[in-house]
This record gives sequence, structure tokens and C-alpha cells, in this order.
Amino acid sequence: MGASFSALFIDQDGVSSSSPCLGDLPESCVASIIQHLDPPEICKLAKLNRAFSAASWADFVWESKLPPNYHILVHKILGFVPQNLGKRDIYTRLCRPNTFDGGTKNVWLHKSTGGVCMSISSKGLQITGIDDRRYWNHIPTNESRFHSIAYLRQIWWFEVNGEVEFPFPVGTYSVFFRLQLGRVSRGFGRGICDPEQVHGWDIKPVRFQLWTSGDKHSTWECSLSEAGKWFHYHVGDFNVENPNSSTKIKLSMTQIGCTHTKGGLCLDSVVIYPSAFRERLKHRGFLKCTKPCCHMLHSI
Amino acid sequence: MESTSKKVTLSSSDGRTFEVEEAVAFQSQTIKHLYETGYTGDFIPVPNVTGDILSMVLRYCEKHVDSDTAAGKESFYDNKLKRWDALFVKVDQSTLFDLILAADFMNINSLMDLTCKTVANMMKGKTTEEIRGTFNIKNDYTPEAEEMVRRENQWAFE
Repeated sequence: MGASFSALFIDQDGVSSSSPCLGDLPESCVASIIQHLDPPEICKLAKLNRAFSAASWADFVWESKLPPNYHILVHKILGFVPQNLGKRDIYTRLCRPNTFDGGTKNVWLHKSTGGVCMSISSKGLQITGIDDRRYWNHIPTNESRFHSIAYLRQIWWFEVNGEVEFPFPVGTYSVFFRLQLGRVSRGFGRGICDPEQVHGWDIKPVRFQLWTSGDKHSTWECSLSEAGKWFHYHVGDFNVENPNSSTKIKLSMTQIGCTHTKGGLCLDSVVIYPSAFRERLKHRGFLKCTKPCCHMLHSI
Repeated sequence: MESTSKKVTLSSSDGRTFEVEEAVAFQSQTIKHLYETGYTGDFIPVPNVTGDILSMVLRYCEKHVDSDTAAGKESFYDNKLKRWDALFVKVDQSTLFDLILAADFMNINSLMDLTCKTVANMMKGKTTEEIRGTFNIKNDYTPEAEEMVRRENQWAFE
């Protein structure tokens, strides 16, 4: 490495003759600097000059950004990838919303942190009564990343189940339902909420449950409120400790009280984020029903 | 063991010599490797590093050898060392870049990390124009190349 840059700073007497500035550093050193930044910043700095651009392609920079089990993720998400694909290209591809399980699930890396995020569409969930149009309808909308939501007109037996098995990297994850009380309008633009059909949710709270591998189970109850706005309702958290295995989780949302109907609910998806994102959702006002940390999964 | 107190002499690009314990010099993987492959000279030339910078680098290595041997990984010493490191890199830009070049040439991982992280922190949250100004970086792109790089990196901002 030394030989490549010695010529830059040493004059004929072998004495350093000029002070280096950042733009003069060799590509390998620039890469060592930018690996301490997050990917959007690295990409921003690539615009500075050619050395920064070249450094922004260094494999070791992106190796440190990719999840430790990225080989498994690549296999699961992308299937076949060319052998010579650089680490930056792998990172970029994993950041796209990649679909799996027949298009009902999206998985992507959060660009800044490399954290694995997942979304399960309403069509990827088991919804009781979904085939009966008196109860539930699928509505196309651009308010969903799947361009479709399930809308509940009214029902007595409100039950939604979901499950997913995925090689999540080691870490703690939070599971949410993305819900809105009140119907969104069809078509474009911001949804217009029709609060008239919203009923029954104030009588009894909704029960959220989460099961993970190792017989861990958590229950959490929360009332749905505030019509006309999408919220992430916290279902629970789970831990991934084994870097080489797949994690299987099951979840449900129920409100089974046959004495009254409830309705006027939009169900977009289930989302799974690294738990660190919870604060961000809360900060942006997108979060409802945060479970206190002591309600973390416990063994049954 | 005898080797712990064995001395070696380093010679900087401007001809200054520094006598240090072997363990200090061996923080540099380049020098360690040189000895491991049978180097027997009286002194080790470090042709890319000036005496001023080399003396700083050796001060860093001495500090880190001391901490490695005396303190182990206890957090009290760890924190103390971190504070020492933070003061060590409070230098002007060109000294900082000289230290990066020296750490790179001498292959001292922890110093490379420390100095590079320091520069990275100086760039965090700044616009490219601010960074160009702060670090005096010239835009050496042709308009076509600049447009290509812009497109190549667009994914990160969408």
C-alpha cells in the first residue's frame, strides 16, 4: 500500500515536502475513512471526487454494512446472484423492497442501518371472514406499499392471524399491525376518512398476541382509537440469538365479543422492524400501544 | 522474557532516529512482519514518515502497549485510554492526514481506526459543498462523469 502513495508526498531528497489534504489521500485510506459513515452518507461523499467515488465501491466498506448473515439473506431473497457481484451491489439490491412468499411479503434493508425490515400484506394474513363481502373487502389504494388493503365493514368475530419464517439476523425486533380506523377513499391522493362506519372498538380492547420459536408467547391488549390516521399498533418484540437459523413467528389480532359488531377498520399490513426503530415511529407520531419493555416475551 | 526489553531503532524520512522497545515497534504490523521474515539491520527505515509524525505515532504505540500489558481490558483503563486517544487526535487537519498515511503505511490498525473515525466524524451531517470547503477537495469530474456518479448513488436517497 505504501509504495503506491509514497510518490505523492516525497520529493527527490526523500523528505516530505507538502502537507496532504483529504483530497490527496489514496483511495484505500479514503475507504477506511468512509467506512465509519452510514451508506447514504457514503453515497453522498462519492460525489466529491473520483477518489471518493472509487472508495465508495470498496468491498470492505460494504462488508461492514451488510448484516452478518447476508449470505443466507441473499440466497433467500435474491436467489441466484452472479459470483462477482460486489458487496455494494449486494447491499443496494437488498435495500430494494424484495418480495417473497408469492408477493405477499416484502423484505428490505433499512438503508442507513442495514437493519432487516419486513412487511406482510393483508393478502398474506389469515383473516376470518375475508371471503364474505358483507364483512371484509380488499380495496386498492396507494396508501399501502402493496397497493391494497383489507377493509372491515363489520363483523362479530374479528380475528387476523399471520406467520412468517425468515432468517432474521441476530437482534431484537418489534412487530406491528398497520391499521387505520375509518375508510380511505379509493383512488389517488390522501385518503378521505369516513368515520361513520367506525364502531365497536371502544367497547372492548383488541388483543395482540405473538409467538416465537422456543415456545415464547406474549399478549397485549389495546384499544384502537383516533380515526383517519394510519398507526403502527405494537404487537410485541422478539429476540434472535442464533445467527444461522430461521426464526418462525406467529401473531394474531383478535376482538371476539359476540355481543356487538365492530367495523370501519383498514388493515394494511404487519410490519417487522428492528426494535430500535420504535422510538423513531413514536417520534413521528405513528405509534400506538407501545408495550412497556417489561412485557417482553416470556416463556410459557 | 528477554524480548520484552529488546530495543529497536527506527529512522524517519528526514533522518531522525528513535529507539523504542520491540513491543512498541511491533504495534506496527509492517515492522513486525519485517522482523518475522528475518530482517537483521541495525535500524528500520520508515521512509514515508517524518520525524515529527513518527514520534507521535510511537507515543501512541507506547501508550497502547502500556495499556495492553498493564491494564488488560478493565473498563476504567479502557475509558482512560479512550480519553487519551481523543486528545491525541486533537490536531490540525494535515497532521491528522499524515497520521492516517503513517498508520496505513506502518499498518497499525487501532491508530488507523482512530484517525479515520475522527475524519469521518468531521464530515458527518455536512453537505458535499461544506465538505469541499472544509477539506479543500477539488471536484475532478467531467460533467458527464458527475452525472453518472449522481445516478449511480441515487438509490441511497430515494
